[in-house]
Amino acid sequence: MAGENFVFEEETKNIDINIDEYRKLVRTYIDLHLYNSALFWADKVVSLSGGEPSDIYWLAHCMFLMKQYHRASLLIKNKGLDKTNKLCQYLAARCLLEAKELSEALAIVSGGDPNNTSFSAPIMSSPVDESFNMEGTSILSCNLQSALLYLKGQIYEALDNRGLACDCYKQALHEDVHCYNAFEALVKHQMLSASEEKELLESLPRGEDDKLVSYIYESLLNKYQDVPLALPASLHQSLEDNLDMTVAKAERLFYACSYRECFRITEEVLKKDPYHTSCLPIHISCLVELKMTNKLFYLAHDLVDLQPESAVSWFAVGCYYYLIGKSDPARRYLGKATSLDRLFGPAWLAYGHSFASENEHDQAMAAYFKASQLMKGCHLPLLYIGLECGLTNNIDLAEKFFSQAQNIAPDDPFVIHERGVVAFQNRRYNEAEKLFESALAKVRVIYESKKVIAEKWEPLLNNLGHTYRKLHKYEEALDFHKQALMLSPLNPSTLSCIGFVQALLGWNVEAVETFHKALGQRRDNSFSTTMLNYVMEQLMEETPPFAGADSSSQEQLVGDLLNTVGGTSKSFKLKTLDGQSSSGAGAGGSGGAWMGEETPEASRSVPATFVSPSPGQSRSIDEVEMQDSFQDENTS
Amino acid sequence: MNDETMTLDLKKVKIGIHKAIIECSRRGLLHGTKWLAELNFSLENVEIDPSIISQASVYDDVDYDRYAMAKCYFDLKEYDRCAFHTEKSQSKYCKFLHFYSRFLSIEKKKIDNLTDLNYNTDPGLNSQLQSLCSELRDIFLARDMDGFCMYLYGVVLKRLDLHRAALTILESAVHEEPLHWGSWLELASLITDRAKLKMLSLPDHWIKKFFIAHTYLEQQLNEEALDIYRDLGEQGFSSSNYLLAQSAIAHHNKREVNTAILTFRELRKKDPYRLDNLDTLSNLLYVKEMSVDLAFLAHHASETDKYRVETCCVIGNYYSLRGEHQKAVMYFERALKLNPQYLSAWTLMGHEFMEMKNTHAAIQSYRQAIDVNRRDYRAWYGLGQTYEILKLPYYCLYYYKQAQHLRPNDSRMLIALGETYEKLDKIQESLKCYYRARCFGDLEGMALLKLAKLFDKVNETEQAAAAYTEYVKENYDSQTDNKQEISLAFKYLANYHLKRNELDEAYEFAFKCLSYEESKEEGKALLKTVTQKRGQEDGEMQVEMQDGSTSMEVQSSRNARNFSHLRPLTLTFTPSPDGS
Repeated sequence: MAGENFVFEEETKNIDINIDEYRKLVRTYIDLHLYNSALFWADKVVSLSGGEPSDIYWLAHCMFLMKQYHRASLLIKNKGLDKTNKLCQYLAARCLLEAKELSEALAIVSGGDPNNTSFSAPIMSSPVDESFNMEGTSILSCNLQSALLYLKGQIYEALDNRGLACDCYKQALHEDVHCYNAFEALVKHQMLSASEEKELLESLPRGEDDKLVSYIYESLLNKYQDVPLALPASLHQSLEDNLDMTVAKAERLFYACSYRECFRITEEVLKKDPYHTSCLPIHISCLVELKMTNKLFYLAHDLVDLQPESAVSWFAVGCYYYLIGKSDPARRYLGKATSLDRLFGPAWLAYGHSFASENEHDQAMAAYFKASQLMKGCHLPLLYIGLECGLTNNIDLAEKFFSQAQNIAPDDPFVIHERGVVAFQNRRYNEAEKLFESALAKVRVIYESKKVIAEKWEPLLNNLGHTYRKLHKYEEALDFHKQALMLSPLNPSTLSCIGFVQALLGWNVEAVETFHKALGQRRDNSFSTTMLNYVMEQLMEETPPFAGADSSSQEQLVGDLLNTVGGTSKSFKLKTLDGQSSSGAGAGGSGGAWMGEETPEASRSVPATFVSPSPGQSRSIDEVEMQDSFQDENTS
Repeated sequence: MNDETMTLDLKKVKIGIHKAIIECSRRGLLHGTKWLAELNFSLENVEIDPSIISQASVYDDVDYDRYAMAKCYFDLKEYDRCAFHTEKSQSKYCKFLHFYSRFLSIEKKKIDNLTDLNYNTDPGLNSQLQSLCSELRDIFLARDMDGFCMYLYGVVLKRLDLHRAALTILESAVHEEPLHWGSWLELASLITDRAKLKMLSLPDHWIKKFFIAHTYLEQQLNEEALDIYRDLGEQGFSSSNYLLAQSAIAHHNKREVNTAILTFRELRKKDPYRLDNLDTLSNLLYVKEMSVDLAFLAHHASETDKYRVETCCVIGNYYSLRGEHQKAVMYFERALKLNPQYLSAWTLMGHEFMEMKNTHAAIQSYRQAIDVNRRDYRAWYGLGQTYEILKLPYYCLYYYKQAQHLRPNDSRMLIALGETYEKLDKIQESLKCYYRARCFGDLEGMALLKLAKLFDKVNETEQAAAAYTEYVKENYDSQTDNKQEISLAFKYLANYHLKRNELDEAYEFAFKCLSYEESKEEGKALLKTVTQKRGQEDGEMQVEMQDGSTSMEVQSSRNARNFSHLRPLTLTFTPSPDGS
C-alpha cells in the first residue's frame, strides 16, 4: 500500500497528493500528543484513501485517544471492520469497554455471539483479514491475541464474572508471557491462591530469554504465602535497584511484620518516584501500622490534590481517619475508594476494620465478605470473618472459615494460630498445642535469618503459654510467657499470665511481684487485683513473721537487748496516722469477691493492615478463662 | 572480696582514666566523664608523662566531619537532628551518638509530655523505645557492638523492664569498657541482693572496688562499704570528693547522724557548689530538726541551681519541716518533673502525701519509688503504713516484710509487723515480732508495752506482768510523755499482785497509781482493797492454812515474786507450728 499517489481529477486542478506524508503527519501528531491535529488529518487521510482499513484504524485510534469512545467504535462498526480486521476488532471492543458498554464489547470480542464463551474460537473462526499487521504497527499476532484475551477478561471482570475473567487472563498470559497487564490482573486482585499462582508460573512457556521474565514474575509473586525474606536468587545486578523489585521486597517485609524496615524501603522508593502506584498502598499500610498520623495526613492530602480519581488517594484519607479513631469519616472515604475501584481489596478490608474496631461485628463481616468475593485467592478476608465469628462467640462457624482460609493458604501461621485459638476455646488443648507449635515453627522459619521474631507474634507465644498451663505444664508455660515478654516488654496481660502461672506453681513470692508489676502497668485490672489479694494472703500465711525468724532461738534473744542507735529517721515520722481510714482503695487495693463478675475484655488488637492485610489477630485467650481455670486447677 | 588487697599503680590508673575521659566525652557520656574527671583530679599529684597519652586524634576516625557536626547537635540537645545525621555513618562514635541521641530524645519527650506524674507514658514513645531496643538487639546478635553501645542497650533493656537481659548485657559492657562508670552504676541498680552480686563475673580491675563498695552501700552493708572506701583512700584516692560523699552516705545509712553531718560539712568545705547528694544531707538535718541549717542549705542550693533535683528535694524537706506540706509536695513534684527516675523525691513525696492523709497519692508515689529502686525500704514501709490505713492487712504485712527484709535489724519494721499480725489475730506471730523488736533495741520503746498487752489479751498474765514490770522499770524514771501507758501498767500490776495476794507489791504499785491523773481514783480504790485484804489476811491466815489451795497460792505467789524480778525476756512461749 505504500506510496500510492492519488490523482484527483477536479474541475480546476489535479493536485498530486502524497498521502503517505499525511499518514506520517498523523503519527507525528500522535507522538506529540496533539490529538486534535492528528484526528483532523487522519480524517482527511481516510477521505483521501477512500476508506482504507488501516487509515480507518488510525482515525479510530485518534478518537480513542481523544476519549471519544462511542464515536470510534461506531466508526469501526459502520465500516464492518470489527468483523474483518482483528486490530480493529480489538480497538472497537476496547472503546466500548471504556465507554462501559460491556455487553456490546463482549459481543464484538466474541465475534458477534455474546453467548460464546470459549476463548480462542470466535477469533480464529471469524473471517478476519489476515493482513492485520498493518502498516506502521509492528504488532505480532500473539501479542494481539493476548491483548484481546486480556480485554475479554476485563469485560468479564467488569461483568462480575470473575471465574471466566480469570481464565481469560491466564490464556492471555499463555499467549504472551510479557503481557504484564494480565499478570497484574491475576496477582493484584488476588484471584489465584498460592498454589494456583505457582502452577501458572510453571505452566508459562519458557524460552531461552525468558529467564528474566520468570525471575521477575517470581519475585513479584508469592509475597504472602511463604514470606521468604530473601528474594529468589538475583539474576541481574542492575535489576536489584528497579523500583518494582524493591517494592516487592518491601511487601515481603511487610508480610513478615517488619514494618520499620518495610517503611524505610518504601520511603526510599517514594523519594525516587513519589507516586509509585504499587508502592503507595504498602506505604500507607506501613504508616498505619507505625501510627505515623502526621505523615499519613500529609500524604493523603497530597494524593487527593493530585489524583482525586485514584482509589489509593481516598484509601489514604480513609486510613488516616481510621488511624485517628474517627470511624465515620473513615468509612465514608474508604467507601469512596471502593466506588472508584471496586476491586481495591485493601480498601474493603480497611472498611471492615473500621467496623470491627467499634465492635460492629455484623457490619464488619459484611465488608469482609465483600472483600472475600473480590479477592478469591486471598485468605485474609476469610480469616477476618472467622475472627469476627469468634468474637461473637460463634466458634464453630469461625472454625469453618478458618479451615477455608487454610485451604487457600495452608502454610500461613496466622491461620494456624487462629485454628489453635479455636481448639483452645473448645478445650481441645492437645490439638491447640500442636497447632500453636506448628505455627511457631513456621514463624521461626520466616525469621530464621534474623533470629528474633517480630513483635506481632507476641500473642502466639502467650497463647502457647496458656495452652501449656491448661495442660499443667507450668514450666513450659512460664517459658513461653517470658519469651512473649521479651517481644513486648511491660505488657500487662503477659505479666498477669506470668503471675498466674507462678501462683499455680506455688511461687507466691514471685507471683506477688509479678502481679504488682502488672498492676503498675494497668491499674484497673480486676483479674490481677483479685489474684494479688489471693496470693498475698497465701504468701503471708506461709512465710515466717519476719526475716530470720526461724533461725533465732529464744534463748539467744534473752538479754540480748541491743542498745541501738537513736534518732528517728525521716521516714518514720508518719507513725501516727493509724486508724484514720480514708476512703478509696489503693492501686491493688480494692478487694473484690474472688469470683468477681469480670466483664470479659477481649484483648484483641484490631488488625490494621490493608494491602492484603496482615495479621494482627492477637486474640489472646481471655483472662476470665484464666480465672475459671484457676479455680479448677486449684480445687483439683 | 575485701581481702584482695591489691596495690594500685597510680600512674597506670591515671593514664587509663585519661584515655577513658577522652572516649567518654567524645560520646557525650557526660556523667561518666564527670565521675572520671573528678577521680582524676584527686590524683592531681601523680605525675605522668604527657606524651604517653598520645591524643589519639579524632581526625583519624572515619567520617570526622559528620561526627563533629552531630556532636554539636547532641551537645545542644537537638537529639532528633543528631540521630538523623548519624544514621548511616560507619564511625563508631557516630553510631553510638545515633542510638544515644535517639534514646535521649525519647526520654526527653517523655519528660516533656508529662502532664501528670502518675500517668503512664505515651504508648507511642514506648513503642519507639521498643523498636530502638530491637535494633540494638539485631546489632548485638550480629556481634557488632562495642562496650559503650552495650551499655546503652543495657539501659534500654532496663527501661523496658527486661532486667535479666539487661544484667547480662551490662556485665559484658563492663568487661569491654571497665572505665565507663555509667555501666557500673546501671549494673549496680540491677543487683537486688548479695547473692546476685556474688554470681556476677566482673573484670579484674581497680574500678571493681568502687563498684562493690557502691553496691554494698545500696544494700545497707554499710560497714563493709566503709572498709573498702577506707582502703581506697589509703591507696591514694584520699582526696576524692566522691569517697567522702559515699562515706557520708554510709554513716547516714548507719544512723550515725552526727558523723554523717560532719562528713558532709567537710565535703562542702572542699567543694561548696557541689549539689550531688545534698538531698541526703537535708534528710539528716531534717531528722535532727536543725531548721536553721536546713534553711541555709536550701537557700544556698537554690542560689546555686534552682532547677536541680537535689535543690528541689532540699527545699521540699525544708517546707516539710515547717509543716507546709502542700509546698513540699510542689517541690518534690518539680524534682520529679526534672527527673522522673529520682528515687528519693518519690519516697519523700509519698511521706508528704501521708501527712496530708492522701493515701491514694501516697501509694502511687511509693510504688513509683519502688519501681525506680526496689531496695528503698522507706518506700516499702510507707506502703505498709498506707495499706494499714486502708485496712488491707495482708498487703500491709507484705510491704512491711519487704522493708524488714531490707533492714533486718530495724525494730520499727518488726513492731509494725507485730501490730499487723495482731490485727489479723495471729497472736503468736505478733508476739514473735515484738519480741524480736525488743531484741534489736526497740527504737520507739513500744515493744515491751505491746508485748505486755498482748500477753494480757491471751491471758498469759504472768508473762504480761513480767513485761509490764520491765516496762515500768525502764520508763518510770525517764519522764516520758506516755503517762497514760505507764499508769495503765501500774494499774495492771497492782491488780495482778492483788489477785495473787502479794499485798506488798500490790500496795507499792497502787500507790504509784496515785501520781497519775488517769489512775488516781482507781489507785485509791486499790489501796483500800489492799488494806482490807491485809486486815483479813492477818485474821484468816491460820484458818486457811489447812486449806491446800491457799498454800498453793502462796507458793505460786512466791514464784511470781521471783519471776517479777526476772528480765521479761526470759518469757517463754511456744509458737504454734506455723499458723494455718
